[in-house]
Amino acid sequence: MVFIGGGWKMSTDPSKERSFTIVGNNAKNMLTRAGISVPKGMETKKLPAELGLSFPVALKVSDPRILHKTDVGGVKLNLGKEELKSEFSVMKKRFPDSSFLIEEMQQQGVEFIVGVLKDPSFGYVIMLGGGGIYTELYHDVTFRKLPISRVDAGEMLNDIREGMLCDGFRGIRINCEALKELLLSISRMIIDGADEILSMDLNPVIVSKDDAVVVDAKISINAKKADAPGKRE
Amino acid sequence: MSDKFNLFSSPEALTYLLEYLRNPRSVAIVGASPDVRKIGNAVLDNLIESGFEGQIFPVNPSYNEMMGLRCYPSLDHLQKGLDLVVIALPAKAALDVLDQCVRNYSRFVVIIAGGFSETGDEGRALEDQIKAKITGSQTRVVGPNTVGLLFPHSGLNTALTPSDRLFYPGKGSVAFISQSGALGLLVMDSITEYGLGISGFVNIGNRADVTEIDLLSMFADDPNTRSIVMYLESLASGEQFFSKAKEVVSKKPVVLLKTGMSREAAKAASFHTGAMATDDRILNDVLRQAGVIRAYDEVQLLDYGKALAYQPPLRGDRIAVITTAGGVGVLTTDLLTNPQDSIRLRMAGLDEKEQAELKRHVLPIASVSNPIDLTADGSTEAYESILNILTESENVDGIIAYALPQTPKIGIDIVHALKEASRKKPMVVGVIGYRLATKVLIELESVKVPAFPSVRRTTDAMKALYLYGLYRRRLENEH
Repeated sequence: MVFIGGGWKMSTDPSKERSFTIVGNNAKNMLTRAGISVPKGMETKKLPAELGLSFPVALKVSDPRILHKTDVGGVKLNLGKEELKSEFSVMKKRFPDSSFLIEEMQQQGVEFIVGVLKDPSFGYVIMLGGGGIYTELYHDVTFRKLPISRVDAGEMLNDIREGMLCDGFRGIRINCEALKELLLSISRMIIDGADEILSMDLNPVIVSKDDAVVVDAKISINAKKADAPGKRE
Repeated sequence: MSDKFNLFSSPEALTYLLEYLRNPRSVAIVGASPDVRKIGNAVLDNLIESGFEGQIFPVNPSYNEMMGLRCYPSLDHLQKGLDLVVIALPAKAALDVLDQCVRNYSRFVVIIAGGFSETGDEGRALEDQIKAKITGSQTRVVGPNTVGLLFPHSGLNTALTPSDRLFYPGKGSVAFISQSGALGLLVMDSITEYGLGISGFVNIGNRADVTEIDLLSMFADDPNTRSIVMYLESLASGEQFFSKAKEVVSKKPVVLLKTGMSREAAKAASFHTGAMATDDRILNDVLRQAGVIRAYDEVQLLDYGKALAYQPPLRGDRIAVITTAGGVGVLTTDLLTNPQDSIRLRMAGLDEKEQAELKRHVLPIASVSNPIDLTADGSTEAYESILNILTESENVDGIIAYALPQTPKIGIDIVHALKEASRKKPMVVGVIGYRLATKVLIELESVKVPAFPSVRRTTDAMKALYLYGLYRRRLENEH
C-alpha cells in the first residue's frame, strides 16, 4: 500500500480499480452534500480552546490507515470538557501523525450499518444490517441492487431483525422513515455517480426517535476521479 | 451506425427474430446420419418423430437419401435463408459449416458440439471464432455445447438423445431454459411421468450468442407460455438479468434454480460491507427484488413452474385445507405455517355461517374448522359442496385439496370436482399414494389442475403462488 497525504489512501490491489479511501471530515462532507445527517463536529490536529460544540463529545482518530479505530483504542465516547483534554493528549501521543474528529454525541438510538459495494455481476448493491457486532455475529444483513425504490427500502427493514424495532419494542422508538430516506439518499448519490464511489461503509448509523445520523463513514472512490483537480478538500 | 444489420440487434427485432427459433418453417441438419451411433441420427429421427410439419433437409455429402428424405451435400445446395440449421458435427467442422450458414443467411444455428470454452483456452479461442463469424451477420447461434431445442407446439425436437432412452414432454405452458443439457433432458423425462407438458425447452449451453436474457424475452411474448423456469450455473450478465426479469415478471412468473453457490471469501475485507457480501446472499436478495421465485432443486423448479402456469397468484395468505386424512391436514398446517420458514402462510379462519354450512355436508365426527377433515366417510359429493363454500368464501385466498385414494367414496370423479373449483379460486392438490394415486395425478394433469405427490411439494407449490402474488402487487405499488 502507498500512502499519500492526509485523508487519502491508495489501494494497489491489481484486481480492482485503483481506489482512494476517504474518511473523517471529507467523508462527512460528501454525505452532507447528499442530504444525509452527520454529527456536528470538527477535524483537527490540535485541541482548540473553543470547540463551538455541546458536550458530551466523542473523540476519534481520523486516519485512512486506521480502518478499525476501536480495535486500536482510537475511539473515546461521552467525554466532558476536562475528560476531552486528557484523552486528547493521550491519543495525540499514540497517533502523533494523525488527525482527530471531535463530534457531539448522538442522542440515544439503535445502531445500524449501511454499506455499498460494486458487485461484479449485479453492479452497485446497497446493504442494510443490524448494527454493531450483530451484523458480523448473526449475518443479519440484506442487499438490494441500486437504484432502490421506497418499497425496496421498506422491505430491507423488514428483512433484518432490528427492523422489528420500527413498530416499537419495550419503549424503544426509532424513526425508521428517516432510515428509509437515508437509504434512498445513498441510492441517489451512487446513481448520480458524481464521485465515482466504489464502496462505502456507514457504520454506525444511529437511528433515534427523531433522525438517522451517520456517525462514522468510510468511502472508497475511483482513484482517477480523486486525482482530478479540485476534488481534494 | 448505418449498418443495416443493426436492425437485428435491437431488442424488438430480436424478439421478432426469435419467432424463427420457436416456430421454424425449415430445418437443416448438417451431419445427419443413418448410423444410429451418430448424434446426427438421433437429431434427425427426433425431428421426424416429433411431427415437425416444416421442411426438413438432411445434409451429408455421402448420401443422396436418408430416412425417406432427400439428402443434400452442403448448405450451399439449399435455399438461402433457412430458419434453423442444426450442426451435428465436431467443433472444428462445425465452424466451417457456420461460415456456410452466414453465407446463406441462415437465421438460427444450433451448434451441438462441445470442445469449446468449457475445455480451456484452446476451446475458448474456437468459441471466439463463432462470435467473430456471426458479428454483423443476420445469423444467430444457440450453443455451442448444447443438447438442442424442444418446441412441442411446433413439433420441433432437435434433441440429441434417442427417444427410446428418454421421453420428451408434449405440448404445455411451462417454458424451460437450461444451461445444463443432460439435466434438462433428464428433468423433461421425469415430468412425463404424470404428463406435464412444456411450451419450449432451450439448452443454452455455452451461450456464445443467444443467452437466457434473449430467451426470457422470447418466452415473455410467447402466447403458449404461462410460466418460465430456468436452470443456470452462472448469469450471462447480472445487471441485464435483473432488469429483464423484473420486466418479464410483471407479465409471467419466472422461477430460477441457480447452482454453483460458492462460499466465496469476503470481497473487500477492510470494509464491513464487503465482509458480509457473499455471492449467494446478494443473489438471493436481488432475485427477490426482481420478483424471481427461487427453487432449490430440479423438482421444485418444475413444481413451481407447473403451479404458476395453471393457477393465478394468491391475493392473500389465508389458506383453506380440505382432506380425508387427519394426519395429512395436520402436516399441511405445520408446513404452511412453520415459523422457522421464510415464507409462512395462515390457515384461513371460517366464520360461523360458513362452518354451519360445512356441517351439513360432513359426519358429526368430522372437523369443520380448518383443516377441514371429512374423515374416511368423505365423498366426491361432499367435496363438491365444501369446495363451493370455500371458493365463495371471503375468508379464503387459496385452497389445498387432497385427493386421497384410501377413501372409499372418492373415485376418479373427484378430478372433475377439483377442476371446477380450481377455475374459481387458486388451488393446488395433493395426492398421496402409488397405484390409484398415480392415476389420479395423471387425470388431474390432463385437466391442468396442479397436483403433487407429497404434502411438502403441495405446500411449497402454494407458497410459490403466494410469492408471485406478493411480487405482482409490489410491482403495481412501485408504479
